[in-house]
Amino acid sequence: MKNTLGLVFFPAFDWMISPTHPERQERLLYTRDQLEEEGLFDCEEIKEYRPRLAQINDLQRAHIGVPGIARLITPAHLASAGGCLTAADAVMRKEVQRAFALVRPPGHHAMRVVHGIRGFCTVNIEAIMVEYLRSSYGVKRIAVIDTDVHHGDGSQDVFYHDPNTLYISFHQDGRTLYPGTGFPEEAGSPGAWGTNINLPLLPGTGDEGLHRLYDGLISHILEDFKPELIINSAGQDNHFSDPLASMAVTAQGYARLADKLQADIAVLEGGYSVESALPYVNTGIILAMAGMDYSKVLEPDMSELRKQDPRCNKRVDQLIEQVGDLYFNRERTKKELLKKCNGVWQRKKHIYYDEEGIREQQVETVRYCNSCGGYFTIQTAAEDTRFGDQSAFIVCLPRDICPNCRQKAYDEALREKKTGRWQYVFVQQIVDGFIETI
Amino acid sequence: MLLGIDVGGTFTDAVVIDNQEILAQAKVPTNHEDVLQCVLAALDKVLLDGVAQNLQRVVISSTIVTNALTENKIDPVFLAVMTGPGMNVKGKFPVEPHYVSGYVDHRGKITAQIDWTKHRDLLNTKGSGVCAVSGKFAVRQPQNEYLLEYELKKCGYKKVFLGSELSGELNFVRRTNSAYFAAAVYKVFEKFCQKVQLALENRGITTSVHILKADGGTLPLKVALEQPVETVFTGPAASVLGIEALAAPEVNSISLDVGGTTTDIAFWENGLPLMAKRGASINGYPTAVRAFHMRSIGIGGDSKITKTIDGYQVGPEREGSAAAIGGSVATLSDALIVAGYVSFGEPAKSLEAIAKLGGNPVIEARKIVESAVAQITATIKDMLVEWAKQPVYTVDDVIRGTEFEPAQLIGVGGGSLGLVKAVGEAMALPVEIPQGAMVANAIGAALARPTLSAGLRADTTDGYYIIPESGRRERLPSGFGQRVAEKLLADWLHKQAADWQLQGQEVELISCEHFRTIHSYYDTGDIFNLRMQLKPGILHKIVGREVEL
Repeated sequence: MKNTLGLVFFPAFDWMISPTHPERQERLLYTRDQLEEEGLFDCEEIKEYRPRLAQINDLQRAHIGVPGIARLITPAHLASAGGCLTAADAVMRKEVQRAFALVRPPGHHAMRVVHGIRGFCTVNIEAIMVEYLRSSYGVKRIAVIDTDVHHGDGSQDVFYHDPNTLYISFHQDGRTLYPGTGFPEEAGSPGAWGTNINLPLLPGTGDEGLHRLYDGLISHILEDFKPELIINSAGQDNHFSDPLASMAVTAQGYARLADKLQADIAVLEGGYSVESALPYVNTGIILAMAGMDYSKVLEPDMSELRKQDPRCNKRVDQLIEQVGDLYFNRERTKKELLKKCNGVWQRKKHIYYDEEGIREQQVETVRYCNSCGGYFTIQTAAEDTRFGDQSAFIVCLPRDICPNCRQKAYDEALREKKTGRWQYVFVQQIVDGFIETI
Repeated sequence: MLLGIDVGGTFTDAVVIDNQEILAQAKVPTNHEDVLQCVLAALDKVLLDGVAQNLQRVVISSTIVTNALTENKIDPVFLAVMTGPGMNVKGKFPVEPHYVSGYVDHRGKITAQIDWTKHRDLLNTKGSGVCAVSGKFAVRQPQNEYLLEYELKKCGYKKVFLGSELSGELNFVRRTNSAYFAAAVYKVFEKFCQKVQLALENRGITTSVHILKADGGTLPLKVALEQPVETVFTGPAASVLGIEALAAPEVNSISLDVGGTTTDIAFWENGLPLMAKRGASINGYPTAVRAFHMRSIGIGGDSKITKTIDGYQVGPEREGSAAAIGGSVATLSDALIVAGYVSFGEPAKSLEAIAKLGGNPVIEARKIVESAVAQITATIKDMLVEWAKQPVYTVDDVIRGTEFEPAQLIGVGGGSLGLVKAVGEAMALPVEIPQGAMVANAIGAALARPTLSAGLRADTTDGYYIIPESGRRERLPSGFGQRVAEKLLADWLHKQAADWQLQGQEVELISCEHFRTIHSYYDTGDIFNLRMQLKPGILHKIVGREVEL
């Protein structure tokens, strides 16, 4: 097969969060203009696809909406998630070598349980695609590289107990930027320890630091993990002109990264320098993924680009050492942690939905088993949602669950139902996205 | 009275239409070595007494530009491009371009002026002949193109084609190729126009002479000279217009114009042919030439039949006339006769010719027809897929879908009757064969309306609007909004139509986008992208009827 890229371009010119919000109709307008003007859609290396609409079940392999996911989304979410599924199909059916879902609305801040919009996201379009790839094509080992400037806390949340998904996120240090999380210690629950990799970078890190990190660590981790598929959560807000963040990456820096990574599927995430960055970064990524010359893609105005501070590389070097140790010793640590937790692991989470002012409290409990990966439950209580205060007890049944655990999980759901503490009790079947209300 | 002439691959047709009826029609063999002679031979056959003085309009659909391009009888072109940063365009144009500095960004801002100190060589060349100039985003701000044109004319180039003048739409590579091909065929086309004009004057025809374009519109000769590349591929366009005049399908339809050598396939919705979204390809290079969403495949009534290991190959070469009407070897028409789809000439001769291929002639004939039908249905399927992949920009687009579902087939052209019936059977669709289909292309040419479309882009942050087709960039009038934008564009179209002596026609809005631009959470202005056109199509329908050839 020739070096070909499937391109799903869906700018959602009729969708916005609010008129002056960064997620507004205008966001991909200049990107559309640039791609059209360059003539990219005429290149034989690039094959255009139109997004299809995802089904509710597709969303529910990754999410449990309270009171229901259908009541929380707009049709635009079905189109952007559907765009990712279209990209996945194109690659898995070998119609193209790789694919880029250049779609909005984005998704990497959306967690497994959804009460509303957070970080511009309602449903996690990469997570939906990952679960679809598993259910429809039997793909097991998947790596997701998140190149958005913000920590993809939603993706981290969905993949946290899944040892077969390697999630790597580099981002501007959470102490200086939304959502405030994404430190190396957040490395996965015991059964999936070391497959959640966080690389917080200092503000001002540019092409040099980024590639130092990729060459010195990320490439080695990928080589070791041996994923069947690499997915790129292609946020573009590390760009020096982004209004919401403080990094110094250029279109060339992004394009070279896309070239090195050679992701099977890329999905657009954030990036809000809609006029000065997105048209060039997207052109660069598309050319790199299609195996075409991207060396001439340069921003016309580089006056705002500042030289990287020496401290940025120092942080990169620290991360290479610290996180390298963490990853390459993960099997040993995993055994220790599993032994220590004695079959049950639990964490409490406070989740804030910046877009709607929702405060959510969660208790997540993983129950391990010797003959399968076990199952996990989520207790959730959220205040001030569109539907008022709401609470739910959720049981999540992974693909490989054994009959024994399945029985235990249902028993637990029934027990919780009887307590009368919860407005809703749900059982999520990850394999088919079927959610049962108990 | 209206006169239409269509130079086809095999025959040149002429028709005179009066009062919605065919007054005269003629068919002469096409001689590709001398297209002008064919035009005149066909013309003379229909110039009955009193016709020349009463003609309101003459429209010619000729292969002159198409032939020049396919036979590479074109002039060398000096091509200068201003790409700025972006995709590497090496190999995207028919000739290696001369790269010139200077860049306009997507908002139409000049981010780099042309640095003449870098182009001393260029300024010192002694030019002659034609050249083409194209800059990225010149449709948003053409100033750099104008400056370069000015300098090149000073160097001695006689004629300079600008990308932004040939198309007002985004797509730098396509505009550049349009400008290149326009320049390359300019002289051939100019010579042809002069000869036509002279020959018509000699015959006492003083009315305006128009040339058919690939998008089914017409332009007066003089205007066509400014955009000669638009007159490429007019044969298929004429066929589409002919179908419109004769059949005007009300339901979603697929038309098949079956000639001797080729079949042209087009799609119809709401009585109008569908246009290709991005323009035609010439010699493998994408251009901005607007054309119908159609394909031509090498299957026709006279197609050659070749035996293969597991069946038959039909076309793409032409064998000659069917055995039924005096040919020596079996053609697709003979197979259609033997298989029972149609009957003409001497069916016994067809049977004899098919029998020479071995086996049971009826079974073999069916196999041959099946092979031809399979090729046609595969092409139709391809076209359906291509159509469904149109870009979608809004949620609404995704939900509505853009799939095309045909409800009937329409057959025109000499070889249509049998073949289209067979395709209809295979696709389980009803078939319509309109009357008067013998010279449909010439009828289409005679009745074609002028087409003219233009865009308007306004960026209120900048305070300017531009109609790329006019090259004018003007300050926004006070009280600017979408309604004012529509009026400005409609006024320009009406004025342009009057200047080009095009008949008064309604203007319609094709697309409209409106975005608010925001900087740091504050509203800074609006962007409007509008496109309008003169309503395309045909002047009027006609009552189909065959008259003596």
